[in-house]
Amino acid sequence: MRKPEFVYVTYIETTPEKLWEALTNSEFSKRYWFGTDVKSDWKVGSPFALVTNGTTTDIGEILEADPPRRLSYSFHHVTTEESRKERPSKVVFNIEQHGNFVKLTLTHEGFAEGSKLLDGISKGWPAILSSLKSMLESGTALAIPPSALGIEGLEEVHRS
Amino acid sequence: MSKPEFVYTTYIETSAERLWHALTDGDFTERYWFGHRVISDWNVGSPYRFARQGAPSIGGKVLISDPPRRLAYTWDPCSADAKRERTSRVTFDLEPRGNVVKLTVTHDNLDEGGKTLRDISGGWPMVIASLKSLLETGHALPADLPSSVAKEKADA
Repeated sequence: MRKPEFVYVTYIETTPEKLWEALTNSEFSKRYWFGTDVKSDWKVGSPFALVTNGTTTDIGEILEADPPRRLSYSFHHVTTEESRKERPSKVVFNIEQHGNFVKLTLTHEGFAEGSKLLDGISKGWPAILSSLKSMLESGTALAIPPSALGIEGLEEVHRS
Repeated sequence: MSKPEFVYTTYIETSAERLWHALTDGDFTERYWFGHRVISDWNVGSPYRFARQGAPSIGGKVLISDPPRRLAYTWDPCSADAKRERTSRVTFDLEPRGNVVKLTVTHDNLDEGGKTLRDISGGWPMVIASLKSLLETGHALPADLPSSVAKEKADA
């Protein structure tokens, strides 16, 4: 039986330091993460939040911060009554250097069986990380229409 | 019960036509697929084959060929040391979204816990990352990346 989790691996022509910066700095995240601010001081135990167009969509706490190798935070989606009832999940970014390339492994785990959020993040992360790779390699993030992701309720957040 | 399948989605700034060409042209695959050239006439029912420096690596039969939207083929590793497992299947779905194409690779009909499942789970993210880089920046991932990653795994 497989665990309810989402794992995504990609390879980016960049340095671990630049990738760490892109994951933790709002100036970058806004460009590749559909206008989302990543908010935290990135110290273990500190609060973490994702804010899009002034709406806080996700909150959590920094669990691990080992720049530029490993970053982890708890993740609680708070935009709907239903999602607030789900238990917080956990996001882990693992960064490994291979020459001029970095292998990025994202693991999003800790979901209950049948989690609705798991379906949403499984559609969201490939778009976010594809755009991140483009931004770091070509200087320009992707213009992916939010509707392309097929996530219910996503367009409302981005219309405002 | 979930059956073993591997699904990988990425978004590439390109056209569906260019992406189709990249998936089906041997000169192109050789550049991003770590030296593996593909050859086929891409008609449904026709054979296709990947070879690296002339040595066959993967082969099979074209199942769906609907350019530039959908391509599917059977997947049989041809290396002598590959354990004989059931023939699996790869499907590429190309969906244009604005100036970006959403590419979904679905590899299914795999043996639970098999060598093919293990190999392709590590292989597709590398191949697709390299393909995306080549189409967007003009250069692919370095040819020695797979061995570098494999070495790190073995050392760990």
